[in-house]
Amino acid sequence: MNPLHAKSYADQAVQRTVEIVENARLAKDTYRVRFKAPEIARRIVPGQFLMLRITDLNDPLIGRPLALYDTVVEADGRPEAVDVVYLVKGKLTSRLWQMQAGQRVDVWGPLGNGFCQEPGTRGQEPGARNSTTHHSPLTTHSYPPIPTEHLIMVAGGIGQTPFLALAQEALHRKRYGEPPRDMPRARRVTLCYGARTAEYLACVEDFQRLGVEIRLATDDGSLGHHGLVTDLLQQCLAEHHGRPHIVCCGPEPMMAAAAKIAHEARIPCQVSLETPMACGVGICFTCVAKIRQPDGSWDYKRTCVDGPVFDAELVEW
Amino acid sequence: MPAPGSASEVDLSVQLGRLSLRNPILAASGTFGYAREMERLVDFARLGGILPKTVTRAPRAGNTPWRTVETAAGMLNAIGLDNDGIDAFLEHHLPYLRELPTAIIVSIAGKSHDEFVEMTRQLDGRPGVAAIELNISCPNVSGGVDFGTDVAMCFRLVESTRQATSLPIIAKLTPNVTRITDIAQAAADAGADAISLINTVLGMAVDWRKRRPMLGNVMGGLSGPAIKPIALRCVHQVAQAVKTPLIGIGGIATIDDVMEFLVAGATAVQIGTANYYDPTVTMKLMDALPAALNQAGVTSVREIVGTLKLA
Repeated sequence: MNPLHAKSYADQAVQRTVEIVENARLAKDTYRVRFKAPEIARRIVPGQFLMLRITDLNDPLIGRPLALYDTVVEADGRPEAVDVVYLVKGKLTSRLWQMQAGQRVDVWGPLGNGFCQEPGTRGQEPGARNSTTHHSPLTTHSYPPIPTEHLIMVAGGIGQTPFLALAQEALHRKRYGEPPRDMPRARRVTLCYGARTAEYLACVEDFQRLGVEIRLATDDGSLGHHGLVTDLLQQCLAEHHGRPHIVCCGPEPMMAAAAKIAHEARIPCQVSLETPMACGVGICFTCVAKIRQPDGSWDYKRTCVDGPVFDAELVEW
Repeated sequence: MPAPGSASEVDLSVQLGRLSLRNPILAASGTFGYAREMERLVDFARLGGILPKTVTRAPRAGNTPWRTVETAAGMLNAIGLDNDGIDAFLEHHLPYLRELPTAIIVSIAGKSHDEFVEMTRQLDGRPGVAAIELNISCPNVSGGVDFGTDVAMCFRLVESTRQATSLPIIAKLTPNVTRITDIAQAAADAGADAISLINTVLGMAVDWRKRRPMLGNVMGGLSGPAIKPIALRCVHQVAQAVKTPLIGIGGIATIDDVMEFLVAGATAVQIGTANYYDPTVTMKLMDALPAALNQAGVTSVREIVGTLKLA
């Protein structure tokens, strides 16, 4: 345990006041907001997030963490804008969905650690990690590299949002990061996605367009499997016999269940924790999660700088 | 050549007892991590100083989540002084901090009088430590707040820590007392170089649907713009009562906030919660400070401190 050695810091982050380009309704209480932020768009990688706050408003006061959904690339290939998809459920999102093109929000990012990267492919200058002795990376967070033969993305609620960019990267449709990082190609990508009812399911057509295999579940049976998304995961594992790799994002009980399935099947699994945050950059110590340490004990780690993506084996559920 | 009255002619330096700072804008303890987190977002050379997150004698895991809850124009926190203890601080954080081009004021919190004194001794003479702030006001740990609510205990603590080091000593007070001027007087009498006010205001949030407190610790400290009037009142009251330099803290986020605190009697200010929701806020304040002083018709920070006109 070394307190100064967070897995990463907000070293690529910029803070900007940006204009909303578009704010589109995708499903019940679910919207996609697009804003022009070239510096963030060209640096951010799948699984990373940014903080968003309504400019000059003191209530709500605190920013909200929102995962990258996708970047918008200009005709000349330059990433110019960022899309995030959000569920309206609190004070900030209740205002955000009503905001229109031209209105301003404050954003800062990219933040956090995205889905696992192979060593050296992170979008940063070579050797930056080891440029001083003060912040060498933690060795407890060495993920097996994605992809693999079969990338299985397990999403609950609004947890599908970090997976579109990841799927595009894994299928070699798009690159992210500065310089753009290279990921091994996945042979197959599956999305297991569960929501309360059919009317909450959002973004499915974006995944379809990529050729992602889609399995849906709803709590009320209004579409797809009537039951848990983890049932879909088990079905998927039973039907395919490649070397799968699971990534998971959603409510904590669902992620804990997926992690258990992965553990029992000895399949690598990464989870993106949705811990409430206040700053997003590591200064407030709000977003801690119990993370297992090399000596077997647990320690509270900041989800923003040590996560939000963790090896599921390290999370104390 | 700068035009007459331009920003470059303004003297921003301030004196807090034996502590000299290049300007009055500091980053408050607990709201700036250990500074490393902010390295690429903030130009440390433009800050008057940084107070890293409070350190305790022994490591503390901190409180069970949830640790913060947003409230109207503010937030409640009950982090619980999550830190790895002073030994880890000295070994891992101070070597980084002492290289930064700004004053490092180390915030400490002891469970006992002796722990405060022991930590003060550990910091004494350390290169890179400009001063010590005694956090005698954290509402989220049992025991910690007592020193800030009891006149005799506060006096004894400040006196003992003063004797334990040649470093400037700053006492950070809680507003959760009946008469803050009594506590401030004790700190002043015991020889504090400066008094920081205020720490957070004790509060609570309830989820009525679950019939449960929102915070893991049940109660927490309220901060942000919501508490600025309370902080301003405390600075005013204490400025009237003691001669010791004051550091205003509480909801400061805009240049107007900064100027209000200076006029009310603060020699410097610490920016806290605003760092969370506007990570570059300190830079914006530094951009705006010289022009605001010009607008006030002064050429130095010192000239405006405590210039509030009463009646």
